[in-house]
Amino acid sequence: MIEEPYRWVEAIANRREYVETQLAAGSPIAAVGYRDGILILTLGRARQKIFEIYDRIVMGAIGHPGDIERLRMAAIELASTEGFTRSAADVSLRRLAHYSLSPVMKTAFEQVYGPPYLARLLFAEVGTKPEEDLFLRVEYDGAIATNGATLSQIRQDFAVLSATRQSTELMESFLKSAPLTDATLVNAINSALNAWSVGHMTAGQDGAKEIPEREAISKHLQEQLATAGIEAAILEREAKTAIRYRALSDEEARSSIQP
Amino acid sequence: MALDQIFSGANEDFPALLRRNGMLGSAPMNFDQGAASKQAPQSGWTPTESTTILAFKFAGGVLVAGDRRATSGHTVVYDRADKVLEIDRHSIMAIAGVPATAWEMARVLEHSFQYFRRTQLQEMSVDGKVRALSKLLRDNFGFVMQGVGMVVPIFATYSQTSEPAARLYFYDAMGAQFEAADYAATGSGSPAVRGILYYENTWGEKPLQKLNEDEAIAIALRALDTAAESDTATGGVDRSGKIFPIIKTVSLDGITTLPEQKIAAVFKKSVA
Repeated sequence: MIEEPYRWVEAIANRREYVETQLAAGSPIAAVGYRDGILILTLGRARQKIFEIYDRIVMGAIGHPGDIERLRMAAIELASTEGFTRSAADVSLRRLAHYSLSPVMKTAFEQVYGPPYLARLLFAEVGTKPEEDLFLRVEYDGAIATNGATLSQIRQDFAVLSATRQSTELMESFLKSAPLTDATLVNAINSALNAWSVGHMTAGQDGAKEIPEREAISKHLQEQLATAGIEAAILEREAKTAIRYRALSDEEARSSIQP
Repeated sequence: MALDQIFSGANEDFPALLRRNGMLGSAPMNFDQGAASKQAPQSGWTPTESTTILAFKFAGGVLVAGDRRATSGHTVVYDRADKVLEIDRHSIMAIAGVPATAWEMARVLEHSFQYFRRTQLQEMSVDGKVRALSKLLRDNFGFVMQGVGMVVPIFATYSQTSEPAARLYFYDAMGAQFEAADYAATGSGSPAVRGILYYENTWGEKPLQKLNEDEAIAIALRALDTAAESDTATGGVDRSGKIFPIIKTVSLDGITTLPEQKIAAVFKKSVA
């Protein structure tokens, strides 16, 4: 069946639909740059979705736990062997995503007799200056969305991951409307929580089609916070040690919430 | 960077991952040519070596110190060698022996602990860390038998969850680990150092574990200076060049590298 070109296109389209359906229930993740580094945050009930990859790199993921695990292991393996054989300074998110993860995910997605990766990944890497921070989203088909890929594009110091394209875009426009360049961690946590709420409200078939009202966002967030935990981590720009990743506890994040 | 599609990382430790990627070789085991009886390979080449290191528990945690000299035979190769290495936030490895091998071991160890934490999403236990170094030494034994890669390290770590919190180990070249109750010293200058530490701990003004930081620094400097007195391979304190030993302490708050000014001040007051 695959010999005929249009059948292949059809198979890919079916596969895309299948993967999207599988990812539709994922809880959004927001990564935002603030004054002292990068914050990545999500709400969850069961399993961990934010992971340390290397000294300056963090990953968030939605999708099938088995696939997330394989990609996470691969990313850690690559970063660790590079950091060991050369140096920690040679480990780069750009290379990791563009040269390693993206081609493999694309191949898996397009070889229609094999299984695709049921996962969508969000990466952030903290630099020595805010301009060097890098945010990346790697899709299940290997497509990469980044904050600094083209010269014509205006740099964004945030990136989000959500179940649907629509909610992803709404989360992005929500974060774009309130820049966090000089914000404190507390402000960043609140902003990321609200962005999460926007993403969560607008995902799914009957989700809202535009950014909800401020009251609605915070009401939805309060409801969700009653049953879910906050999972968050920061990459600190200035730290005494080489490892910049630090996980924030649920209590630490909750104590920052402003009404 | 190439991506291996058969991700088997979950159950693999970091040295095994390196071996799978051809980044870490094992030493050839060559016992049948009587290599064990030789001190160095037949070419007459002598490896660079470094000595002397010591560590003891004091009131503020564990203190680890090392002189700065690296030698090759009778030649001083380097007088600013760093033999006290930070492995993670609460672990220090100090090295006596061949630095080429020891620094590589330290790199493997550092990455092993981090790789474990990142992949397994939990910190490696103290016993696991101690054992990891033991395995590296065991893997290196082929080189030791050929007389080129002997390393006898000290490993000091501090863990909230272990009892006692401050842990101190020394190793032999084959990888046997010995937990020290109070102090440890290895390297060519260590007999003198052990004598001093034993004396101080038993008949000194107070046992080593009760010393404050300044007193601990003074004992460490005196011990290294004594070792240098009779051992040419130990640098001790270079009075003219103002080169001081490296001293680090590890406690619950992590590792502190003592600033040179502080060491110099204690040296001036209690040693010189």
